[in-house]
Amino acid sequence: MDAKTRDDLLQLFQSKLNRAMTYYLETCTRCGVCTTACHVYQSMPQAKYIAAYRAEIVRRIYKKYFKGQGKVWPSYGEAKELTEMALEELYEAAYSCTGCRRCMVYCPFGIDTQMIMSIAKLLLVGAHAEPEILTLLADTSIEKGKSIEFFKEGFLQGVKNLEQQVVEKWKLEAEGKTVIPVDVEGADLLYVALAGAHSIIPAAAVFNAAGENWTLSFFEAVNFGAFVGDPTKTKLILDRIVNEAKRLKVKEVCICECGTAYRVMKQLSGKQPFEVSSVTEVHARYIREGRIKLDKSRFQGPVTYHDPCQIARNGGILEEPRYILQHLTDDYREMAPDPRYNYCCGGGGGLVALGEETLDFRMKSARVKAEQVQKTGAAILATACENCHTQLENLNHHYKLGMNVQFLTSMVADALVI
Amino acid sequence: MSNAIQADKVMDLKGLPCPMPVVKVSKGIKEVEVGQILEAQTTDPGSLTDFPAWARTSGNEIVDTIQENGVIRIFIKRNV
Ligand code: SF4
Ligand code: SF4
Repeated sequence: MDAKTRDDLLQLFQSKLNRAMTYYLETCTRCGVCTTACHVYQSMPQAKYIAAYRAEIVRRIYKKYFKGQGKVWPSYGEAKELTEMALEELYEAAYSCTGCRRCMVYCPFGIDTQMIMSIAKLLLVGAHAEPEILTLLADTSIEKGKSIEFFKEGFLQGVKNLEQQVVEKWKLEAEGKTVIPVDVEGADLLYVALAGAHSIIPAAAVFNAAGENWTLSFFEAVNFGAFVGDPTKTKLILDRIVNEAKRLKVKEVCICECGTAYRVMKQLSGKQPFEVSSVTEVHARYIREGRIKLDKSRFQGPVTYHDPCQIARNGGILEEPRYILQHLTDDYREMAPDPRYNYCCGGGGGLVALGEETLDFRMKSARVKAEQVQKTGAAILATACENCHTQLENLNHHYKLGMNVQFLTSMVADALVI
Repeated sequence: MSNAIQADKVMDLKGLPCPMPVVKVSKGIKEVEVGQILEAQTTDPGSLTDFPAWARTSGNEIVDTIQENGVIRIFIKRNV
């Protein structure tokens, strides 16, 4: 690595050194409590998968360049130079961590390994050593934001074609209004979906059943800038939705079943003239207010729920999905340990988006998740995140769990009493 | 089905979860020669904005889009 590249990367490192990060980098006592907290280590007990070990790879570079001690005497405190080889280690550490933060809940000092890994990811982006496809996906989202006028017509036509499916399945007209409204100024709620029809059709059925004054976003909710750990791209992708919400003067931005999208919008959008909610919160509200009714007999067999890390542990939404499920089943089975300590599905941090490339690792590293799910004895495994759903489907197949993996939104839509 | 353009490779991307359509098409385009056509079939309206944005980003070109019977057929010319 040439000196200029190293300097540039160290500047990126420096940009991450706020108070919280410095605390995380300087505090670990190597007590080892986090060792078995990580699903990756529990499933594949190798030292490199211990949370504190991952963090140490970043910490050593910190010691070398940002701490007096390391600068003077590199062998003391295991300071380490930033080299091509160090980048490889950073890659392995960052892309075998799903950012679930289970380790943080166990650490007596609350050290956030996910946040430390965000340094690793940023250095990889700076060195052009990140997974190329994640950057391509992020750039695609940004390009969409720049030229939406150019793509608008096609999208509107595509959405029109879905409306018939909503009307046919739910026998539901939107009381003289458009079944899937797009670009409606003055709507109360902006729903930000994913590209897939499965993220739009059931949600549209529920909004219309609840008599919501809503409009569908032109943009997909997911933020690949966050997955790849690029703060500039994360912000550009986020701003597309913030600007659309302001232009339409909506009161609420409702994020579809996508954990990262929800966390990024909720925690990084700053103070705005609209509220941010997840579709799970909105559905719970509709039930509470009597705006929708659900038929409990629609789903047979015991049901369990996987808490997406970015929505539950990192987003605080724990009660709402359980409240919804009370209206969908009389046989709900909670996973053990309880939701705050829930295991990650094993697909976060961009691993699912990397597809086949990470499949083997995702299956092996989430063995404890498969066991946790199986122990509930449930027939239906519900969740509220696209990423988790894909990973859980993969686990279902790999470990032959024989479960019916469902989106919570789809269950609500399918159980609607019209 | 009308078929304005003869594709050199057809990919069925119907009903795939996010972000697999774009991930798969990024790989699929490398399996045709420069100048050849890849046809991506989806049912997701988001593809109608995602694919043109992806084409601009990756330097490829959408040469035609047909929506019929609920299926969206996107014809992509490999340029790079
Ligand atoms: S639990 Fe916290 S202090 Fe203990 S080794 Fe892990 S990160 Fe370090
Ligand atoms: S954030 Fe999750 S995956 Fe990463 S080290 Fe901690 S427990 Fe393991």
